[in-house]
Amino acid sequence: MIDTIATVERNLEPAKGYRLLTLNFNEEFQILPGQFAMLRAHNGYEPLLRRALAVYKQDSPGQLSFLYQVLGRGTEMLSLLGSGAKVDALLPLGNHWPVEECPRAIVVAGGVGSASVLMLCEQLKRLRVDTQIFFGAANERSALGCGIADFLALDLPLSTTTDDGSFGEHGLVTSPLERHLDEDTRTAVVYTCGPWAMMKRVAEISRLREVKCFASLEAPMGCGFGVCVGCVVAVNTDEPSGYGSYKRVCTDGSVFPADLIRWEVAAMSH
Amino acid sequence: MHDPRLAIEIAGIRFNNPVLGASGTFGYGLDMAELIDLNRLGGFCTKGLSARPLAGNPPARIVETHGGMLNAIGLQNIGARAFVEEKLPLLRQYDTRIIANVFGYSDDDYIEAIEILNDGADIAAYELNISCPNVKEGGIVIGNSAAAAARLTEKARRAAARPLIVKLSPNVTDISELARAIRDAGADALSLINTVVGMSIDVNTRKPRLNYGTGGLSGPAIRPIAVRMVYEVARVVSLPVIGIGGIASAMDALEFIIAGATAVQIGTANYYDPRVTMKVIDGLSEYCEHHQVDSIFSLVSSLRKE
Ligand SMILES: Cc1cc2nc3c(=O)[nH]c(=O)nc-3n(C[C@H](O)[C@H](O)[C@H](O)COP(=O)(O)OP(=O)(O)OC[C@H]3O[C@@H](n4cnc5c(N)ncnc54)[C@H](O)[C@@H]3O)c2cc1C
Ligand SMILES: Cc1cc2nc3c(=O)[nH]c(=O)nc-3n(C[C@H](O)[C@H](O)[C@H](O)COP(=O)(O)O)c2cc1C
Repeated sequence: MIDTIATVERNLEPAKGYRLLTLNFNEEFQILPGQFAMLRAHNGYEPLLRRALAVYKQDSPGQLSFLYQVLGRGTEMLSLLGSGAKVDALLPLGNHWPVEECPRAIVVAGGVGSASVLMLCEQLKRLRVDTQIFFGAANERSALGCGIADFLALDLPLSTTTDDGSFGEHGLVTSPLERHLDEDTRTAVVYTCGPWAMMKRVAEISRLREVKCFASLEAPMGCGFGVCVGCVVAVNTDEPSGYGSYKRVCTDGSVFPADLIRWEVAAMSH
Repeated sequence: MHDPRLAIEIAGIRFNNPVLGASGTFGYGLDMAELIDLNRLGGFCTKGLSARPLAGNPPARIVETHGGMLNAIGLQNIGARAFVEEKLPLLRQYDTRIIANVFGYSDDDYIEAIEILNDGADIAAYELNISCPNVKEGGIVIGNSAAAAARLTEKARRAAARPLIVKLSPNVTDISELARAIRDAGADALSLINTVVGMSIDVNTRKPRLNYGTGGLSGPAIRPIAVRMVYEVARVVSLPVIGIGGIASAMDALEFIIAGATAVQIGTANYYDPRVTMKVIDGLSEYCEHHQVDSIFSLVSSLRKE
C-alpha cells in the first residue's frame, strides 16, 4: 500500500453518467484482481474523503484504469479531471478474488460492479478456467457505461441482461444464473459484484444449490486502510457481542465468502 | 532526525514533537506503520479501549458532510487485554509515545480497563474519553456533567499508574466550568475537543443517514469551535492542554498552539491524507525557521491582543 500522486492520462465518458479514468503513476504495481484504490483530486478541498474505486484494468505496471459511475460529489469531482490533472491515490488496497481452487467459474456482474471483475475474468482466462459470465445492467446505455465492450472482447461465454430489455435478455441477471446452475450441475465457484440486493439474491441462489460463492462488497469508506472502522458489514461469527460481529470491507474484504455475510443487515442505505 | 525546537513536555512526559495521532483515527498505531515513519511521530492515542471487546454499531456508521464527517462507530475495539497482549509487544520497536484512550459505560468499567492497562509496559499515559453515555445513570453522557466528570476523574486518577489526560466533550454549555472541575479532581492534562454531536437526514427516505441516528462531527468544519474552546480552557486552567479538531496542516496546528495548546492531535485528516502528521511536523519546523522560534513551547498561549 502506498500513498502517491498520480497524473490523469485521460478521463473518457463511455456512456452518459459513466467514466473511464486512466492514471499514470511513478511507481510500478502488481494489482491483484479485486483490489481497489482510494482516490481524490490532489489539493482538492471538497469533498474531503477519498472515494473507493476498483482497479478495472492494468494497462501497464505504471498505468491503471478505473471505471466509475458518477453518483454524487466525490465521483463528480473525479469526472471533472482532465488530462494532466493530479490525483491523490492510495493503493493497492483490500484482498482479492480467490481463484486457487476453482474448477469452473461463474462471474455475475451487476451494474458498475463490473469494474471489480474484468481483471478477474482476464485472470480466469489466462488460467484456462472454464468461465461463464453473466452481465446485468439497467439498460443499453448503462451496459455500455459498465464496459460491456471490454467483456465481449474477452471472448468468453457471456450472457447479458438489461432491466428494460434494451440490450440482451429482458430481466434481472439472476434469472439466467439460476437457469444455468440448474442445467449445469458441475462443481463451480460463483464470483459476484453489484448492487447489494443483487448480491444477496446471488448468494441465496448459490447457497440453495450448495455452490461456493464470493462477493465483493461496497460500503462508504472513511480511510480505506482499516483505521476508521466505518465501512463494516455484519458477519455470522457470533463474537464478540450478542449482536454478531462486524468486519471491515476495506481490509477484511472487499471480497468475502457469501455465507459469512448477514445479508439482511445492509452495509449502507441504498 | 528530530528537530529539537519541536520537543515538548506534558505531565512529565517528553514528546519529540507536539504532533500526535487522535484516538479512533490511528487504529492501534501499527495500522499506520506502512504509511508513515512512526519514529518521527510525537505520539498517538489508541482507538478507545474498554475492559471488554465491543462490536460497535450496525452500519451505516459514517457519512461525509460539508468540511467534515459524522461517525457513530459505537467504539468497536479489541478490548484492553488484547491491546496489552497482542498490540503492545509489536509497538515496542517504535520510538514514539503511546497514549491509551480509555472509555466505559459506567465508572467501574473505566477503572477495570485502566487496571488491565496498568499491566502493559510502554504506555506513556491514559486519555479518558468521557463522551460516553453512563448506562447506570439513564444514559446521561458523563462528560456533559461537570459533577459526573469530576467524580470519574478522581476515581481514574487513583487507579491509574500513569499520567491521566482527560478528553473533554464540546457538547456542554460551559467548557471552562467542566475543565476546572476536572482539574480539581486531579487530572494531569486536558485534551479537547472530542466530536460535536450532529445529524444528517436522507430526504428521499426521510431516515437519518447514520443507523444510530446521530453521530459525532469531525474534520475542518469543527476547527474554529475547537480553537475557541482551547483558548477558553487554557485561559482559566493552568494544566497542559492538547488541542484537537479539524487539523490538516501546520498552520492549523499553530492556531491551536497560539491559542494555548502544548500539543495537538490530528484525527480525520489521517483518513484523506494518511501522511498528514509527517507534513505537519515538517511544517512546524519550517515555521520555526522562518519566524526564528527556538522552541515551539514559546508559542504556547502567545495570542496577541492588539
Ligand atoms: C471496494 C470498493 C470498490 C468500488 N469500486 C467502484 C468502481 O470500480 N466503480 C464505481 O463506480 N464505484 C465503485 N465503488 C463505489 C464508489 O466508491 C461510490 O460510488 C462512491 O464512493 C460514491 O461517492 P460519491 O461522492 O459520488 O457519492 P455520494 O455523494 O457519497 O453518494 C451518492 C449516492 O451514492 C451512494 N453511495 C455512496 N457511497 C457509496 C458506495 N461506497 N457504494 C455505493 N454507493 C454509494 C449514496 O448512498 C448516494 O445514494 C466501490 C466501492 C467500494 C467500497
Ligand atoms: C471515526 C472516528 C472514531 C473516533 N473514535 C474515538 C475514540 O474511540 N475515542 C476518542 O476519544 N475519540 C474518538 N474520536 C474523536 C477524535 O479523536 C477527535 O477528537 C475528533 O475527531 C476531532 O478531531 P478531528 O477533527 O481532527 O478528527 C473519533 C473520531 C472519528 C472521526
